[in-house]
Amino acid sequence: MRARLCIVLICLSAVMLSGCQSSRKIETAQIIENVTISERNGQTLYTFYILSSADTPLKTEIPAGSFEQACELAQNQYIPNISLSKLELLMIEEHLIDRVLKTDIEYISTQPSFSPSAFVALCDSKTIDKFSESTREQDLIEEQLILLKKNNPDVSINYLSVFNHFESEKTNEFRVGTLSFDGELKISGKKVIKS
Amino acid sequence: MSKVRFSSKRLLLTLMLCACSVILLQNYDISEKSSFVFDILCMLFGLAICFVLFIPSVIIKMRTNLDFLTVARTVTPKLKIPLAVLYSLYFVYAAEFFLLPYTDMFSKKYYSDVTPCLIALILLSACVYAALKGVNVITRFGIFLFVFALITNLLMFGGSIGTLDFELYGFEVTGSVNDFIKNTVYFIIPAFIVTLFACLSGKTKNFKLRQPLFALIVTGLKYGLIMFFIWFSLGDYASKQEYQTFILARAARIGFFGGIESLYLALATMSVFMIISLVLCAVTKSAGKESDIKYVIIFAVILFAAHMCGSYLNSVKEIFTNNYIFAVFTVITAAVIPMMYVFAGRKSSARKTLHSINMS
Repeated sequence: MRARLCIVLICLSAVMLSGCQSSRKIETAQIIENVTISERNGQTLYTFYILSSADTPLKTEIPAGSFEQACELAQNQYIPNISLSKLELLMIEEHLIDRVLKTDIEYISTQPSFSPSAFVALCDSKTIDKFSESTREQDLIEEQLILLKKNNPDVSINYLSVFNHFESEKTNEFRVGTLSFDGELKISGKKVIKS
Repeated sequence: MSKVRFSSKRLLLTLMLCACSVILLQNYDISEKSSFVFDILCMLFGLAICFVLFIPSVIIKMRTNLDFLTVARTVTPKLKIPLAVLYSLYFVYAAEFFLLPYTDMFSKKYYSDVTPCLIALILLSACVYAALKGVNVITRFGIFLFVFALITNLLMFGGSIGTLDFELYGFEVTGSVNDFIKNTVYFIIPAFIVTLFACLSGKTKNFKLRQPLFALIVTGLKYGLIMFFIWFSLGDYASKQEYQTFILARAARIGFFGGIESLYLALATMSVFMIISLVLCAVTKSAGKESDIKYVIIFAVILFAAHMCGSYLNSVKEIFTNNYIFAVFTVITAAVIPMMYVFAGRKSSARKTLHSINMS
């Protein structure tokens, strides 16, 4: 009898006090899959790609000074139900490397919601244009990055590795995966000199 | 309560899993300035101390086949109440020591919308039920948890192999005296299983000295592996965020298969559930009313009230989660007091009393 009472109480508390009242439902959440960082009219543009089943990517462009600021703006103004825990790829336009790479990776490393194994790559403007045209590009890029890492173990392809190379006192430079598009997608490792 | 004795191996397996859970909730407890090899040396030293702490309760178990509390009550009936108070206090502290970091980690890392007190309430409700069922049933659950822990750890470590980096972090031995003290005190914490063993081993049979030794060796192996992967797979990234083992599980990835942190969280939940259930069994035993519903509920309410205080008052939380206080408290309850009874048991009068209990 006592055991049954305990079971009933546990079940009731689990159902009634689950804390789900203020939760964000998966149907309404806007899950960000990828972010690209490019430049337009001298301003850094953060483009958030929202997970969707459509062939054309669903994106929101946010001009901001840093990724931290872009996330805040997205949350407060552009994408209220934003969820960044499934972010898989961060692509940075090659010439913005000094401006954003270190600060944005540092910000990401302190946030519990981001996965440290998500990919980071540099790219040219054509790759970003291509990326905004089709949702199939992401899988292709991830496969290319994994292949690059396999053939060149010294290349950093995720936040974890890029962050650790920035923090380490042992090295002054390291390599990051770089994508370029000239008719077809090409990938190589680019040297990053630590300032 | 049933007087059926169950295998001592099962109890030690369960206690081993409890000891392993200490590193699951690790949160800047290991010095960041010391090197990996230095941390391993501290761990070996800490676990060696844990083994030494096992000796008094092992002697009592081997000599009388009873648990320490039963022996203490028989040899010194006048000290029944002070001992009950001391051990009850210790177990309440031990439960809070694990419950507070667990609820904190759950709300910070996994589900920030839910308050820590609610998680504690639900977990305690489940623990009350388990404690009413007794140690035998909890140790059966330990077998399942062992398999689950094995799978989770294999996935965590297997998924982290790809990110190992030996270029940035080496095997040099660097660390100061303060680092050594900090780390060693942290690695003495698994000795809380000694106190649990001292209080709960009365109903076990076929105890062998190699069982606690094996439990500590496996605990050491798991600690070593987790530290190895945190150091060489996460590196400096781990120092930027709280609960480093969670980050390790989060970063682990086998091909495109990720999300291993969900398994880690389930493992941490079940480990803390098992610790608190065993603590509730031990605390009611120390109060002289083993698995009595009234006493179990009273202690569960005390635990919840203490958790509320710890959640809202930071100074209380700091006291409840202080490694030094817990280590000292553990040494007293696991070794110092049982050692007194080991010497007291050598007296002829005490030996006769214990012999009569054994015969009955």
